[in-house]
Amino acid sequence: MSQSTNPTTQFQTDANRVTADVDRRSFLRSSLRGYQTTRDATQERFLNYESARIAAGDAKWEAIENLDVYLAQFADKLEARGATVHWCSDSAEARDAILDIIKKHDAKSVIKSKCMTTEEIHLNDLLEKEGFEVVESDLGEFIVQLRDEAPYHFVFPAMHLKKEEINTLFQEKLKSINTDDPEELTMVAREVLRQKYLSADIGISGANFGVAETGMISITENEGNARLTTSLPKVHIALMGIEKIIPRLEDLALMLPMLATAGTGQHLTCYNSQLGGPRQDDESDGPVEMHVVLLDNHRTRLLADPEQRDALRCIRCGACLNVCPIFKNVGGHTYGTTYQGPIGSVITPHLRGLKDWKHLSHSSSLCGACSETCPVKIDLHHHLLRNRRDAAGKGQGGLAERTLMLGFTIVMRRPWLYRLTGRLGKLGHVLTKPIHGTRIDPFYAWKKTRDLDDPAKQSFKQYWKSRK
Amino acid sequence: MSRDAILGRIREALSVKTDAHVREVAKQSSHSLPVLANGPDGRTQAVKEFLPFVGESLEDHIAAFNVLSDKLQTEFIVVPTIDSARQTLDQLRQKHQWERVGIHDHELVQSCVDQLPVEFLNTSSNYDAHELEKCDVGISGCDALIAQTASALVTNHSAGGRALSVLPPHHVVVADASQMVTTMADGFAMIREKHHEKWPSFISFITGPSRTADIERVLVLGAHGPKKLTIIMISE
Ligand code: SF4
Repeated sequence: MSQSTNPTTQFQTDANRVTADVDRRSFLRSSLRGYQTTRDATQERFLNYESARIAAGDAKWEAIENLDVYLAQFADKLEARGATVHWCSDSAEARDAILDIIKKHDAKSVIKSKCMTTEEIHLNDLLEKEGFEVVESDLGEFIVQLRDEAPYHFVFPAMHLKKEEINTLFQEKLKSINTDDPEELTMVAREVLRQKYLSADIGISGANFGVAETGMISITENEGNARLTTSLPKVHIALMGIEKIIPRLEDLALMLPMLATAGTGQHLTCYNSQLGGPRQDDESDGPVEMHVVLLDNHRTRLLADPEQRDALRCIRCGACLNVCPIFKNVGGHTYGTTYQGPIGSVITPHLRGLKDWKHLSHSSSLCGACSETCPVKIDLHHHLLRNRRDAAGKGQGGLAERTLMLGFTIVMRRPWLYRLTGRLGKLGHVLTKPIHGTRIDPFYAWKKTRDLDDPAKQSFKQYWKSRK
Repeated sequence: MSRDAILGRIREALSVKTDAHVREVAKQSSHSLPVLANGPDGRTQAVKEFLPFVGESLEDHIAAFNVLSDKLQTEFIVVPTIDSARQTLDQLRQKHQWERVGIHDHELVQSCVDQLPVEFLNTSSNYDAHELEKCDVGISGCDALIAQTASALVTNHSAGGRALSVLPPHHVVVADASQMVTTMADGFAMIREKHHEKWPSFISFITGPSRTADIERVLVLGAHGPKKLTIIMISE
């Protein structure tokens, strides 16, 4: 990833590079095909999956449209049970809040379970700079952390890597044995991380849901690393975006199976834990302190958009990435965002500025596969269109786009000019044929990867007139 | 303060109503399928009516639990009496050569393990996590078994704290047939009733042994938690 260049250029460069890597692309595709097969089988078991989506979507609508009430309730309940709630407007505030807690406890080492929100606020960089040892405990996250890379996919962080590459990595960084057996590799990581749980002073987790009614966070996982992270260290910090709220505890009975089915194709993931407060008086273990750090970081800006607040209902299952033809071709790192794929393309312009991130709205074929697959029915591909509209409306389309659109308007308003353009187009096609796809072709940028069919002998208008 | 600032921004944002068209799209179904009433009751009903069907009777539930357990690689053993549960545990002890066993103060657990010739670590009061880590197995109770998902629902109270069911390499759950319920929502309702809203700080649905597929989508059991999960249900 080229960090210094602007996001649009970086996207272009990386997309070109990744699409040319046919081997990696087919590796990705076959892994996503596996996901699809498992998911289809699980979805089959539902009595009525479509209706379940609507009901799940409804839970999140209720939460988002009454977020002020539910969020306050969530915080009050948690505090009543001895947890501390920190309200943070932006990344810097959240980082400071977390750093303060760690310093107050004179902690040395921090163990983390999977939390995309910590990626959003670049927590690891800060903690490492401050001299703390920070270890990611989710296997995929652990692997990308060793590689000094960002997660490739917010649900499958290391999906781009082959077992041979992980073998090399482990040998190099962990002095492990030479093996490319996934089971043995997993056990290597298990052994390394076991000791870390037992010695870590602080456990940091994310939250998949925040239950307003009871003041609990809910964490979904398969490995058990989040359970260990929230059980053994004496302090537990959970970082959570304010949109993660759901109204009632029983809503989880619907949301958790939906998240698993869409996310990995499992009917339920291995551990779904609800944590409400630190160790209570009548309990024998658990952290003595629990801190919940609530993060706004421009989510309220997205909430203020009456159309696109829809996207705050996202439960981060990752399904829209798995079905996206763009994701499959350009891969996760190309996005250069914390949240990749269609949902990332929708929300990043709101969270980080439309000007720099509007190109993501164009990294879509508008096929609608994302909206079709989303377990809470977010209208993703239309939001991409809305972002395009907003960018154009703000005059951010750029000179080329504006000129093109001006030309289009002039032509479309004048039938004679339209006819003339059609004829010139045909002529141009014939004339540029010998240089098609070469650099002197005036339409090189477009034609280098595309073939253009010869135009029909008859125009549509001529055909229409000659019918019958 | 930040709390007021954030809640203030939320209120301001919500003063503009959601675009009617966007709201409508989320409700529409191209399949003209049933849609339940909005709101919490509709959603609880949805769990019963839309999610997988697992029958009404205990036999149905056991059958469903069995099918999913196979898939999950959970060892699900139904035994008639406490006595047979004792025997089963002793067989497991021999097979897996248990020497140290983590347990907790729980009526059913205590009566099932009272004759096991092993060293015990009880996690119901202060204990050393390093010692628990050295145990070969953790044996715990649970609050409910969920037929729809083949899960054991546990809390710190029913499972001897947060760590007993996740730190040792093998977790054994002992349960009673009366604890079998249909959905996760029923499970929550049971805990609600038992604790009168004085919620335990930890609740978890355990669905199979710990797993990962982070390397090339190959399933590996025992990523960080137990490599084995055994659920023993006493049917009488
Ligand atoms: S937008 Fe929908 S499909 Fe995409 S991650 Fe969010 S919930 Fe999943």
